[in-house]
Amino acid sequence: MSLLDAASEHDALELLHDLGCTDGLPVVIPTADRVARMVLATGYEPDLVLGEMGPMYGSATVEKVATAAVMAGCIPDHAPVVVAAVRAVCQPEFDLTEMQATTHCTAPLMIVCGPARHACGQIASGFGALGPGHRANASIGRALRLAMINIGGARPGSSDMALHGHPGKFTYCVAEDEENSPFPGLHTTFGYEPDQSAVIITGAEAPHSTFFTGDRDDPNSVESLLNVIALVMANPGSNNVHIRGGSITVIMNPDHAEVIRRAGLTREDVQAELASRATISVGTMRRINPTFFVQGVDTDDKGRFSDAADEDLVHVLKDPSRVLVLQAGGSGLYTMVMPSWCAGPHRNAIVHSEIELDQVCEIPGMAR
Amino acid sequence: MRDSISIARLGIPAVALVTEEFWPQGDFFANSSGMPEVPRVKLPHPVAGTGEDKMAEVASDITPSIVELLSS
Repeated sequence: MSLLDAASEHDALELLHDLGCTDGLPVVIPTADRVARMVLATGYEPDLVLGEMGPMYGSATVEKVATAAVMAGCIPDHAPVVVAAVRAVCQPEFDLTEMQATTHCTAPLMIVCGPARHACGQIASGFGALGPGHRANASIGRALRLAMINIGGARPGSSDMALHGHPGKFTYCVAEDEENSPFPGLHTTFGYEPDQSAVIITGAEAPHSTFFTGDRDDPNSVESLLNVIALVMANPGSNNVHIRGGSITVIMNPDHAEVIRRAGLTREDVQAELASRATISVGTMRRINPTFFVQGVDTDDKGRFSDAADEDLVHVLKDPSRVLVLQAGGSGLYTMVMPSWCAGPHRNAIVHSEIELDQVCEIPGMAR
Repeated sequence: MRDSISIARLGIPAVALVTEEFWPQGDFFANSSGMPEVPRVKLPHPVAGTGEDKMAEVASDITPSIVELLSS
């Protein structure tokens, strides 16, 4: 049986599962008509190559990416974000091939900024934005994953060697809460104008919840907040501590962001403070992983810690700009911290791509 | 595997050392890179962290295979 002669959508779904073309959940069957309409929604020719996806080195054509978007449950409104995300992860600096093959659990976290958050299907940035129940977040993130599976060839245990993976490998997409944030849009940090839209992508672990109760009467509240986030960033079990040189994402809820606003700190201030405070002692690392850490994995670190004193502190990030700081989520006690993989030839660099809303082709009667 | 493939592409003899758990991934990379015959030697899994004696034993076991592949 081939997909073309499947007797029903049910049979086609079973075939796609059998072929390893799904993420384990049911998909929308990518019929020729559905894919053609999704291609139209991108505004591009179907054979336009957006990039190459390893480890299978498949060409990510618009048509193949549209197929992944259909399978993921995207509506045409989502297409520009999916196209931008594929363009972003195909940039060499992202080390997609190595990232897909690693034993680490890393997954691409998509952060959507600018007007596309609203224009492309209301991508959620509030309560539960990283969880279930948001159609755009769920479908757009899943489309990228299905492209990585079917174009990039990442399949667990044979090419994707993640020991455990994590739930964000199903879908991992959030919008920045720009309207309520104390910071300018995250995309402006990467050179975009505020009225442009962009997707920022970073390889990320699952979110680590970070508890903090602010106290408006406490002038040192911001110090406490920065300290607790920095402690989570310096989690001794993370790759950031062992390998260094990676990035860390910090998603603040509105209440924590308000503490930052009241203290008058800019995003750059917060990045610098967190990078400065996120340290671990050489003695701690000697106790928990002497061989790996003390010998130094990073080229710059080779032998550096061998003669260091136990009380010497090591910064887990070398570059403050590699702390991605943004606001999203509902009001409350928790900020989310996502460590990263930190490996690959380019250290799995943060990448970004413009979401081109002017390419969108609106088609009367196109089914949502 | 990718290092081995990259080195082999430069015309320099190379042998990839792949543990048995990663053997399918090695095959995958060799095929997707268009070099399905790139030389590789299978190691037990895991090797890392098994101690100096065990690693010396593994090295001793596989050295003839590496030499043979580099000589062929």
